[in-house]
Order: sequence, then C-alpha cells, then structure tokens
Amino acid sequence: MEQLDRQKAFYENILNKLPTDIAVFDAEHRYLFVNPGAISKEEYRKFIIGKDDYEYVAYRNRDISVAHQRRAKFLEVKNSGKEIRWEDTLPDPQGNMITHLRRMYPVYDEHGELSMVIGFGIDITDRKKMEEKQAALVTQLSTRNTQLTDFCSIVSHNLRAPLVNMSMLADFIEASDDPAEQKMLISKLRPVIDNLHATFNELVESIQIRQDLEIKREDVCLKDCLQRTIDGLQTEINKLGAKIETDFTEIGVINYPPQYLNSIIHNLVSNSLKYHYPGRRPLISIKTRKEGEKVILSVEDNGLGIDLVKHRENFFKIGKVFHRHPNAKGFGLYMTKTQVEAMGGRIWVESVPEEGSVFNIEFDNRIKKVS
Amino acid sequence: MKSIFLIDDDPIFVYLTRRIIASINCPCQINEFTDGELAISYLSQIGDQAELLPDVIFLDLSMPVMDGWEFLKEYSELKPKLKKDIALFIVSSSISPHEVERSKSYRAVTDFLIKPVEKGKIIEIMDNVKV
Repeated sequence: MEQLDRQKAFYENILNKLPTDIAVFDAEHRYLFVNPGAISKEEYRKFIIGKDDYEYVAYRNRDISVAHQRRAKFLEVKNSGKEIRWEDTLPDPQGNMITHLRRMYPVYDEHGELSMVIGFGIDITDRKKMEEKQAALVTQLSTRNTQLTDFCSIVSHNLRAPLVNMSMLADFIEASDDPAEQKMLISKLRPVIDNLHATFNELVESIQIRQDLEIKREDVCLKDCLQRTIDGLQTEINKLGAKIETDFTEIGVINYPPQYLNSIIHNLVSNSLKYHYPGRRPLISIKTRKEGEKVILSVEDNGLGIDLVKHRENFFKIGKVFHRHPNAKGFGLYMTKTQVEAMGGRIWVESVPEEGSVFNIEFDNRIKKVS
Repeated sequence: MKSIFLIDDDPIFVYLTRRIIASINCPCQINEFTDGELAISYLSQIGDQAELLPDVIFLDLSMPVMDGWEFLKEYSELKPKLKKDIALFIVSSSISPHEVERSKSYRAVTDFLIKPVEKGKIIEIMDNVKV
C-alpha cells in the first residue's frame, strides 16, 4: 500500500513537472486531471475535477465562447476517434500573445469503449515568432529581388538605349565629311545626353529613397505643400484652365518627410494635368480622410483614365507608360510608389477609361490633427 | 521594293536606322510605328493584303502604351491570318539574357538583335528577303 502511494506520488510528480499543459477528460468531457502547466492555481485545479468547461468558465467568469470552442474540439476527437492537432494563440495574464500547439486524442478500454480523452499543449511562441520573422524576411527579400530586376531592366533599357544612340551618332559624325551634316548630327546628340542625364538622376534618387531609412519626418501642412505644387505647375494649370479643389478639413497636417510629400503631391497633380482628357477642363480634387488609424490622401481627376483590366499589374512599374505623351518616361508613379512604401504606406488606383482616375495613398498612423 | 515596319518609340534610333538602310543600296519602303498598339492595329487591318504587309519587322521592346512583349502576344495570334511570311526581329537595347531567353518562347520571332545593330547584319537580313 505504501509502495503504491509512493508510485502514485512519483507519477503525479512527473505529470506536474512536465513543461506541458495536460488535461484528461472522461467520455463526457468532464475533467479527470489537469496539471499545473494547464492551471497553475491549486484552488482552480481542485475545482475543475469532475466538471466541464461550461462550469469552469462560469466559475472563472470567462467568456463562454472558450467553452464552446473546447467542446467542439472534444466532440471532433470523440466522433472521429482520431487524434487532432491545432494551434491557438491567446493572451497570457500579462497580455503577451502565447501560441500553443495542441493535440488531443482518445483512449479506449479493453472493450473498445472511450475511457478518456487526453489533451496537451506545448508553448511554441518562440518558434512562431521565428517563423513570423522568417516570413517577413522572405517578403523583404522577394521585394528586394523585384527591385533588382526592375533596376536591371531600367539600366538595360533606359540607360543603355541613349548610350547606343550616342555611339551610333558618333560613328556617323566620324564617317561624315560634310561639316553641315556633322553639325546636324551633333545637334541630335543634345536631347540624347539630356535624356540620359535625367534618367540617371531619377535612378540615383530612387536608390537614395531605398537607402534613406533614417529620413526625418516632420509635420507638413498639406495646404502649403499643395501650394508649392500649384506654383510650380502654374503655367500648365493656366494653359488648361484646370480647377483644383481641396478638402483637408479632416486631416490638414501629416507627419512625413517633407520632400517626399512634396514629390508625391507634385507627381500626382502633374500626372492629372499631363493626362487630361482633350478638350475637357481638368478638375482635380484632393482630399484627406481618416480611416481608423490610417490617413488616406486621394487625388481624383476627370482625365484620360486608364484601362486597369489590362494594366493593373504593371501600373506602378518602372518604365511603364500607358498614354502617348512626349514627356512620359514611366518614372513618376514608380518614384511615388517607392516613396510611399519606403515610409510604410501603400498606394492604389481606381480608374475608368475616358472618365478619370483616383489615386489613393494610405499613410501609416503617425498623424497629427489640425491644430 | 522591300518593305520594313519599324516599331520603335525612339526617334533618334529610328532616324539612324533609316540612314543605315538608305546607305545599303536596297530600295525599301519603311513604315514607322511609335508603339506596339499602332502597329498591331494597322497589321490587323491589312492582314489579307499581302502587297501592303512588310517583309521584315524590327520591334523594340521598351515602348509606351503597348510594349514589345504585349505586341508579340497579339502578333502571335494574328500571324496565322497574315497573308505573308514576315521575318520579325526584336531590336532592343536590352542585354538581359532573361529577355533573350523569353523571346525564344515566341515562334514568330526570327532573332533577337541587341542595339546597336551592325550595318552588316541589316544587309544580311535584307538579302534574305525574297522579292
């Protein structure tokens, strides 16, 4: 008898010391045993024996949905007769999210009757965190890889093309004996050089955005920012008779790197002007609104619009141009997207061809209200 | 007279290519298109008129509105309906092996030429055209 007690104490000690939470149920989902890994307080542990989860959540004043969920898992095991596994993530008493890998399986007696169901869970929070880190890293790497591909393509197409032109022009100039012809060929060099220069600068700028992780944010007044854009585009605005409406009543100030915000607004407004619908007076409406913790800036126009069915995938890609326009190089929206994403935001477009486009930018939640 | 369609949005390159063709003593009719869409819509209009169709197409890849790849996709569908066997050369400043590889998946593509294209290569291509 004494030996039996010693043995019982020995096994209980093992079950109690296992760094795993263990719960054993009878065929009706009543608790037969829980170890301190599952319920640390002895008082609660004592209470639960012979009761089910509905009684326990009532006793502990917890949400009944917990009991529903546990009953569902239990029935799944009981009805299928098979082991099940799942992961759940719940806050611990300190509010940290803890992920458990749980397993539950049936145990049968010699007559084939369900005698008990054993459930246990292992804390896999560390592994889960590591997996999340790895997933984030994979996303980052694949973004970087896309950027690298973009970069190779831009070097190949936009930098090499003017170089080819320059070397061909040089060949022709060398081969010619006619000074008038030479002069004419030399005059063709200028736009090629300018183009190369502009492309080069834009490329350098876009690389700097990616490297500039420590760029300073400050409170930027949208009204002032837009005014700078309007001043810069005044000739174009007057020429087209464009009307610009604003509504910054909800959000008037954004905490953002000023040069990025200037560049973003300038790009979007100048695009709306550039791709206006011929013969229609451009109407550009710029608004901010709050959506939960986020701030959305939208720039809407009544311009040419774009066929998104065809172009959605390539919309913000470098070097992509969708309209016949002499000054379109496919850099503007790529830069805007790069700037927005570098600051943790996102950009998307809605458009109906021949009716207009709406560009939406979601900034992250570091916002300031109008003072 | 041989006929060439030049699909390229770069005016300098088009100008220089015209000069090279002019210098090789091969009387040619050259039609220019500044993007793939203009070219494909013209080709689909004249598809059954062999006398209007070109012998050779020089196709750039990086173009506005419809780039070379998008053109190739539509051209491949159109090709069986065209009443002429047309040689199509990609002429690109791209030196990306990936793009050269990609071009091989299009049966319509005769070859991938990297800019600048040597005069000798253009002579060879034009010599191959049977009038």
